[in-house]
Amino acid sequence: MSAITFTSFDRKATLRWVLALAGAAAVFGLLVLTKGANPFEVYRSMLDSVRGSSSVEGILLKATPLVLAALAVAVPARAGMVNVGGEGQLVMGGVFAMGVSLAVDGGLPGQTTLVLMCIAAAVGGAIWAAIGALLKLFVGINEAVSTLLLNYLAVNVMLFLIYDRWKDANGSGQPATRALASSERFSLLGSSNVHAGLLLALVATAAIWWVLRSTRWGFRLRVVGGNPEAARRAGISVGSTLLSAMLVGGALAGLGGVVQLAGAEFKLRQGFLATYGYVAFLASWLARHKPINVAVAAVVLAGISVAGDSLQLDSSLPAATVNVLMALVLLAVFGWTRTKAVSS
Amino acid sequence: MTALPLDVMTGAVRGGTSILYAALGESVAETAGVVNLGTEGSMLVGALAGYAITAHTGSPWVGALAGGVAGGALALVHAFFVLDRKANQLATGLVVLFLGLGLTSLFGAAYVARTATSFDAWNVPLLSKIPWIGEIFFQHDPLTYLTYFLVPALWFVLTRTGIGLLVRGVGERTEVLGTYGHNVRLVQYLAVVAGGFLAGLGGAQLSTAYAHAWFENMTQGRGFVAVAVVIFAARRPLAAMGGSYLFGAALALSPALQARGWQINQFALDSLPYLAVIVVLVLLGKKRAAEAPEGLQKVFEMSTAT
Repeated sequence: MSAITFTSFDRKATLRWVLALAGAAAVFGLLVLTKGANPFEVYRSMLDSVRGSSSVEGILLKATPLVLAALAVAVPARAGMVNVGGEGQLVMGGVFAMGVSLAVDGGLPGQTTLVLMCIAAAVGGAIWAAIGALLKLFVGINEAVSTLLLNYLAVNVMLFLIYDRWKDANGSGQPATRALASSERFSLLGSSNVHAGLLLALVATAAIWWVLRSTRWGFRLRVVGGNPEAARRAGISVGSTLLSAMLVGGALAGLGGVVQLAGAEFKLRQGFLATYGYVAFLASWLARHKPINVAVAAVVLAGISVAGDSLQLDSSLPAATVNVLMALVLLAVFGWTRTKAVSS
Repeated sequence: MTALPLDVMTGAVRGGTSILYAALGESVAETAGVVNLGTEGSMLVGALAGYAITAHTGSPWVGALAGGVAGGALALVHAFFVLDRKANQLATGLVVLFLGLGLTSLFGAAYVARTATSFDAWNVPLLSKIPWIGEIFFQHDPLTYLTYFLVPALWFVLTRTGIGLLVRGVGERTEVLGTYGHNVRLVQYLAVVAGGFLAGLGGAQLSTAYAHAWFENMTQGRGFVAVAVVIFAARRPLAAMGGSYLFGAALALSPALQARGWQINQFALDSLPYLAVIVVLVLLGKKRAAEAPEGLQKVFEMSTAT
């Protein structure tokens, strides 16, 4: 369990990281070369696109739901579970929050509705994650498979609502819900586009870091994740530990849904947070599920993804091309940055 | 207008075949003890390669072969990282999917609006004239007919031959076979790559025979569904066929009902295939999980240790 962290000063380990990342970058360079783009130009335009204050804002905006969704992967992973349901749990967070806004319909004073929306989003995400946990505990279905299938279900539920029950009759163009009232939105930080949801994500990161490190619950997660059989013998209820880890994870992802809805988009529409769940999954695995590192990794991947938008403009490569770069980085990290694995 | 059940059952075969290929492939890999969630990615690259090569050569057969090769190549990446670098199987599978997603948007943009010759339906003489049976099973594309041979052939190989015994032994008693001098890793490599080849073939069937088009992320979770199907089919080819057709039937229900003027929301119907697979997993999953080879149970239980 001696995973290397970002802060490790072990020189050999650092060298392995550098070589792994350089290898991933080289392979990606070769790939864009086959598409007739100059790899050096591509990397330069990607770097250029993440400098400057407006780029930093863009990255932080993108990172806000991503950090929460990545923590949603990390917490269950501590207990040995693979939560790939980030997309569905994010979407359910957005759906529950929007539902509260529509139900209240401006009938509550001040920012009460926003608070209720956040609670509802956490509950929505937790319910969606709990389905995966319960299927594992009672039917023995692996949670990676069930949470993946639940993603498609969640997106269809959202689309059903957008195109049917919740469709804004006055809207034009692509169907969407009505926009949130201004009192239901997160306030912006200073004169930037970054909103208070970022603070929520940072507080959540710190809280999860503390909880995992210093509470009995955090300890139980580690024991169950390390060796369920030993945990069982030590009198830890493995089932309830796994369920609670998924509930907390789902709630975090649900919050990711509401910060995007109430901080950046203000209405639900098709494509809401699409692929964020998968990028968040990569972030958590990149950082080996350590909360602070996971948040950093989420910001880095948000940066890569913002840089990807520049590819479309400067090199006329599809924006999703950076998914290749992210995947290569992850593979390199999986393959070559571990301390020699004690085969489990 | 034909009867609704007939429409749905015909659609079950038409829409289920691509998943069936992927499920057969995943059955092989899982029999050897390797879970490949990258099956979704193999289908995706297979769909693109199949479509692109068909567009260039004009031959959907060459396209199908290319689809299989592309799917196998992506599965090779999975095999290398989980077998040689001992990376987590579930996480690596998803990263491999992500790789496939990125690669197909990088290389697929040029083919989005492009037309290509595709597999045409070919009615099997005599058999296609049988009422119901003929329409359901024998008025499809050649890749669909190929599965009618592949399913029994794979069942035979996996359960009645020395090769099958070896593959099952590798999945069941990995360490033991190693000590008896069998090259366990080679068998696993071959099983995973063969599985990817079949998934790629399924992807090619999807783009060249079912959708007659390529578009980004067109598999829509079919590869994941295939993995789920393999769980409740317990890696048995015939059961995988049933599970795949179930998904196909749920897919076909939506257009069939709409054609009859039912006013049901599109997206409510679109969620049916995934719901159906989850429900069947719930009904059959428990029994099957216990039957899984030891090697597989390890993957599914101890998930995130790195």
